[in-house]
Amino acid sequence: MGCSSSLPDRSSGQLSGLNNTENSGVPDAKNLRVKLVLLGDSGVGKSCIVLRFVRGKFDPTSKVTIGASFLSQTIALQDSTTVKFEIWDTAGQERYAALAPLYYRGAGVAVIVYDITSPESFTKAQYWVKELQKHGSPDIVMALVGNKADLHENREVPVQDGIDYAEKNGMFFIETSAKTADNINQLFEEIAKRLPRPS
Amino acid sequence: MENADVFLGLQDFLERMRQPSAADFVKSIKSFIVSFSNHAPDPERDSASVQAFFANMEAAFRAHPLWAGCSEEELDSAGEGLEKYVMTKLFTRVFASLPDDVKQDEQLSEKMSLVQQFVRPENLDIKPTFQNETSWLLAQKELQKINMYKAPRDKLVCILNCCKVINNLLLNASIASNENPPGADEFLPVLIYVTIKANPPQLYSNLLYIQRYRRQSRLVAEAAYFFTNMLSAESFISNIDAKALSMEETEFEKNMEFAQALLSGLSTDLDGLSSQIDQIDGHDPREPTNESRHQTRKEDHTIQPKSSERKLSSKEDKSINKIPSISELENRGATMLLKEDQTSKVFQEYPHMFAHAGDLTINDVEDLLNNYKQLVFKYVCLLKGSGGGSATFPLSGSQVQAQQHVESVKESEDNRVIEQKVGLQNDTDRVDDGPHRISNQENIESNFPKGVAVAPSEDNHDDTFEK
Repeated sequence: MGCSSSLPDRSSGQLSGLNNTENSGVPDAKNLRVKLVLLGDSGVGKSCIVLRFVRGKFDPTSKVTIGASFLSQTIALQDSTTVKFEIWDTAGQERYAALAPLYYRGAGVAVIVYDITSPESFTKAQYWVKELQKHGSPDIVMALVGNKADLHENREVPVQDGIDYAEKNGMFFIETSAKTADNINQLFEEIAKRLPRPS
Repeated sequence: MENADVFLGLQDFLERMRQPSAADFVKSIKSFIVSFSNHAPDPERDSASVQAFFANMEAAFRAHPLWAGCSEEELDSAGEGLEKYVMTKLFTRVFASLPDDVKQDEQLSEKMSLVQQFVRPENLDIKPTFQNETSWLLAQKELQKINMYKAPRDKLVCILNCCKVINNLLLNASIASNENPPGADEFLPVLIYVTIKANPPQLYSNLLYIQRYRRQSRLVAEAAYFFTNMLSAESFISNIDAKALSMEETEFEKNMEFAQALLSGLSTDLDGLSSQIDQIDGHDPREPTNESRHQTRKEDHTIQPKSSERKLSSKEDKSINKIPSISELENRGATMLLKEDQTSKVFQEYPHMFAHAGDLTINDVEDLLNNYKQLVFKYVCLLKGSGGGSATFPLSGSQVQAQQHVESVKESEDNRVIEQKVGLQNDTDRVDDGPHRISNQENIESNFPKGVAVAPSEDNHDDTFEK
C-alpha cells in the first residue's frame, strides 16, 4: 500500500558490486560517499522511503541490479558538493535484531524509522537509538523519522514526542510519507548537510 | 550477459605475464607465493600480507608500460587476474586449513542438516505471499556451487547470484500480489531459509576466505551489502535456538531429535537405495527386505518414545517407504557425497568436471558432446524409472562406465598424463590431509600445482607463465 512503485530498471546488465571502478577515485571534499543504514521495525516503510528517494531521480548510470534492499543515490547540494548515499536496509523483525551490528559497522549515517500509527514501532526506534549510542561509531549522524504521516487520522505517536526524543538525543527529526513523497528529499538533503566534511 | 559469471580474464592476465617486460612481475609473484610457504599459517597476518601484496602489484601494473593507455576496466581485470592466480596457488594453504575451521564447518553443516528437516518459512517471518519453495531451489543451486571455485571472486559470485535469484523471485511475487516492493524485511528471511535448505559445503570457511582474501577495495557497495547478508545468515543459523524460530523449547528439542534420528537412519542406510530400487522392481513391499530390517533397528535406537513422538516417527517411516523421486534421490546423493572421504575419486572419471571454459580446447568438444548425450540418456532413464517403469538404473550405470572406459582410452596423451598425476596427488593428499577435506577441485585442475608443493614444482610455474 504505502509506496506504489516501479523499480529502477533491473535489466540494465551486470552485477554492479564486483567491479567498482568508480571507487578507485579517492573521495574528496567535493564528492562524498557515505554508508547509510536503515533501522526500524518491520512494516514501518523503511524500503519504501528509499525507493521513493531513489525513484524520484533515478540515476541511469547507477548499476543497481540485485534488489531493492541495497540502493545507491547521489544528490547534489547547493554548495556544489555531491553526496553518494549507499543505503543498507536491515530486516526489522525482532528475531534478527542481534544481527544489526554487522550492518551498521562502518556506517556514517543511521536513519531510524517508526510508524506514527504504531507506538510499538516508536518504542523500537528508541531501542535502536540507544543501541547505536552504545555500539555505533561515535561520529555517526542519526536521523529519527516518523513515517506514514499521511495516515494522520490514525496517528498514535504525537509529533511532539518525536521532536522531544530527537532533541534529547541530538538527532535530526522529520516526519515523512513515502506514499505521497512528503519530506523524502528533505530528509536526505538535511542528512547530507550534516555530514562531517573531510578537512 | 545475464549473469556475472566466473572471471574469465585469467588467460589474458597470464598472456601479459609471458611478455618479456613482465619478468619482474613474474619474479615477485613467484617469490611471494614461495615466501608464503616458509612460515606457519596465521590467518590474520596471511590476509594482511596478501592484501598488501595485491595493492602493491596493482599500483605497479598501473605504472608499467604493459598497461600504458589501458582503461580502468583493463587494469581492474589485471587485478582480478592476479587475485585469481595467486589465490588458486595459495588455496590449499589458506582455505579451511586450521582444525578449528574444519570443526566449525562440520558443526554448522550438521546444524543445517538438522534444522532443514523441520524449519518452515513462517518460523523465519516469511509472509505467505513470498513463499515459493520450488523457485527457491534455483537460489539453493547457486549457493551449492561455491566449492566449484577457488578464487575469492568466483566464490563471491555464487553468493551474489543466489541473492539475485531471491530478489527477482521476491520482486515478481510482490508485483503479482500488489504488495510493496520487497526490502530487507522480506529478503533476509528468505536468504536464511535458502541457506539452511542448501546447506552449502564449508560455508563457514568459505565466508572467512572471501572476507580475508577478496581484494578489500572490491568488496564494497552492493557486493559488500549482500556478502554481509550472507554473514548474518550464517551467524543466525549457527545461533538458531527455539526462540529464534518462535518455537516452544520442548518442540524445538523434539524436532532436533527427530531430525537426528531421521538422518542417522539415512546415513547408516547406504544400501537403502538398492532396496528401494528393489521396490521399484516390483518386490512386495511387505516382504522383509533390508530396508524394513533397518527400520526396526532404527526404532530400537529411539529410547522409549512418548506417545506423541511415536505418532510422528511412524509418519517419517512412511516417507522413507515411499518410492523416492529423482530430486529426493539427488538430495540424498549430494548429502552422501559431502560426507564421503574421497569425493575427488568419484569425479575422476569426468575429466571436465572442474574445468573452466578457458581451459577447453576444440578437441574436447567431441568428448563433451558424447558425455552430454550419455548424461541426458541416463537422466531420462532415471526419470522414467522412478515413475514406475523398469529399473534400468544399475544396468545403464554399468553401460556408461564401460563407455567411459573406451573414451578415456581415446583421450589425448596429455590428458592421460595429467590424470595419472592427479592419481598420485590424490595419494599424497590422503596422507597430508584430514579425512574430511573436500578438495576435489585442485586434484583435478592439475594445471595448478598445489600450493603446498610450490617450491618443488617451480618448473610447472614457468610453464604457466612462459609457454
